[in-house]
Amino acid sequence: MEQQAPETAVVEVRQEFSNYLELLAVVGQDFATSLDIDETIRLTLERIVNYLDAEAASLFMLENNDTEIVCRVSVGPCNIAGLRLKYGQGIVGQSISQQASLMVRDVSKDANFLRSVDEKTGFTTRSILCAPMSLNDVHLGAVEVINKRNAEGLFAERDRDALRVLAASAALAIRNATLTKTLIAQQRLQRELELVAELQLSLLPDRREADFPVHGVNVPARTVSGDFFDFFPLPDGRICFDLGDVAGKGIQAALLMAKASSLVRCLGKSVHLPGELLGMVNREICETASRGMFVTLVVGIYDPASGHVILANAGHEPPLLLAADGSVRDFPAAAPPVGVSTDLFADNRFPEVSFDLDGGSLYIFTDGVTEGTIDDGEPLGGDGIRELLREVSPMPAVERVDEIAARFTRSDKPLHDDLTILVVQDARPDAHLLELRLPATAETLREIRDEVRTVSAQAGCGEECTEEIVLAVNEACMNIIQHAYGEEGKGEIIVEIRVNDGGLEVRLTDFAAPVDPETVKPRPLEELRPGGLGTRFMSECMDEVRFVLPPPAGAGNQLWMRKRIA
Amino acid sequence: MKHEVAKEQGLAVVAFSGDIDFGSSPEARRVLLDALENEGGLLVNLAAVAYIDSSGVASLIEAFQSAKGSGSRFALVAVSDAAMRVLRLAHLERVFPIFDSVADAVADAG
Repeated sequence: MEQQAPETAVVEVRQEFSNYLELLAVVGQDFATSLDIDETIRLTLERIVNYLDAEAASLFMLENNDTEIVCRVSVGPCNIAGLRLKYGQGIVGQSISQQASLMVRDVSKDANFLRSVDEKTGFTTRSILCAPMSLNDVHLGAVEVINKRNAEGLFAERDRDALRVLAASAALAIRNATLTKTLIAQQRLQRELELVAELQLSLLPDRREADFPVHGVNVPARTVSGDFFDFFPLPDGRICFDLGDVAGKGIQAALLMAKASSLVRCLGKSVHLPGELLGMVNREICETASRGMFVTLVVGIYDPASGHVILANAGHEPPLLLAADGSVRDFPAAAPPVGVSTDLFADNRFPEVSFDLDGGSLYIFTDGVTEGTIDDGEPLGGDGIRELLREVSPMPAVERVDEIAARFTRSDKPLHDDLTILVVQDARPDAHLLELRLPATAETLREIRDEVRTVSAQAGCGEECTEEIVLAVNEACMNIIQHAYGEEGKGEIIVEIRVNDGGLEVRLTDFAAPVDPETVKPRPLEELRPGGLGTRFMSECMDEVRFVLPPPAGAGNQLWMRKRIA
Repeated sequence: MKHEVAKEQGLAVVAFSGDIDFGSSPEARRVLLDALENEGGLLVNLAAVAYIDSSGVASLIEAFQSAKGSGSRFALVAVSDAAMRVLRLAHLERVFPIFDSVADAVADAG
């Protein structure tokens, strides 16, 4: 019979251990499926109170950069949720600052005990068990359990161990809940940004056919952009175009971009004077934009019938006119950005300039282009952009803006700034003097020479100028027959000649495999070898000779040459 | 392109007319090299040449170099404006001996 007592004790311990495991499992389950973390904490505290046979429990969190301890949830006769203690204050404060589980069997004998709380609540605290919550050295708070109900009113060592594990479980759940909440907030913000970006995209004009005079491209550096461009036809056949850059980045800039862009589009339909339009937009933005926000903005009107442009520039980077002869003219701002001041011009009209495209193209761009870095990682700069514009000039306008944007986005480096570029091209139908499509054979060279001779003379070229053009075209065609088509020897050549801004432009297109332009560079004259003579003739006879790179879709190679009519 | 070959005091005189271009220059080349082979020197009359391209110029260069190599005479005579323009572009007007007429060239040789 004497043996029964230990046996009963063992059964009790087993039972208790099993209860404890069950509690842990249930608490873990609660947290894992929790939709409301505070409610789950309350439930957990109740389970702990029941398990430990206590009167009350509360969970404290560190707040305000760990300077305060705040009761987040409490269960028991008094609700102390919201109770604020200083760091280190009370037994809970000590438990957190020492990162130790504290068991105070008689609070009246503990100097750290805060009587003020009992005084406020009317509750009598006798004993306290408190375990800190922390994860990877990050202190979160503590769980405190009050007044063991058993006869002695004392917590046992195993109670302390149990609470320590339960507190760790709560800590993990709280941290996960916080992370999830942050993640959800971030996702919501990202989704909102994407919606703004979508809206911004809808504010940009639709892509037009290649023969339309105006094309643009916008590549945001982040999700949303502070840049914009737009163009729309006016009832009289002219086209209003604009490009702007809002100071600053992010949502604020995006919103002002939407506003400025909408203002120009709306007002631009009835106000057909760029300077006056800028004046009105300026007044509107000054009245309503928040302090320190401004927009650099270029507005222009283009007449596709005459090639005439009227332009007004409010504080924006100078647009560049790449003339047909390859020269560049810029149009610096004669006024500050819009949104800065309404007292600029007595008649509220921003200054305008007007000029003719004359076969050239006008480029307007944001500093994302001039300050951006291209393939080799070097900033493009003012000279770089001029060079790049010349380089892409043989392409159709719509491909030029794409190609320029591609130069900046090809590398893995993120964009330095939003990138926006607009081109207005003189798209008047070329008066093609000559369009020939002939088999690329030695026999057709004679015909090509005769045709080129005739149209060059018609275009006003003197005998010498004419013969030089004839020679250059002949040599170029020979190259195509000999080198591009080579042994196969079968294919066609397209010869196109037009007059543009006092010059004769020749375009030769073949359908052979692409030729490396390096291999057709002229050789030094000292080498009296026949091979390089042809390309030497071409560069001597013409003012400009270059391959269109990449060649137009469907073509193999395209050579572009130009000579001033003399 | 057409050509005529004559003899003048032991020199072959090849007279071209028309266009010496990509299509005809292989023939021009053969005519020039054959003439050189048969005679002690070569005069190329370009008076009636309306057009010459780089391949035609290349044929002249080859004949010139071949003559030089064998110690034979080589000269251009009565070069038309059209041909002269191209020779100047190639900076060959001082490389090739050029005479106003066959007679001048023959006299120079004597």
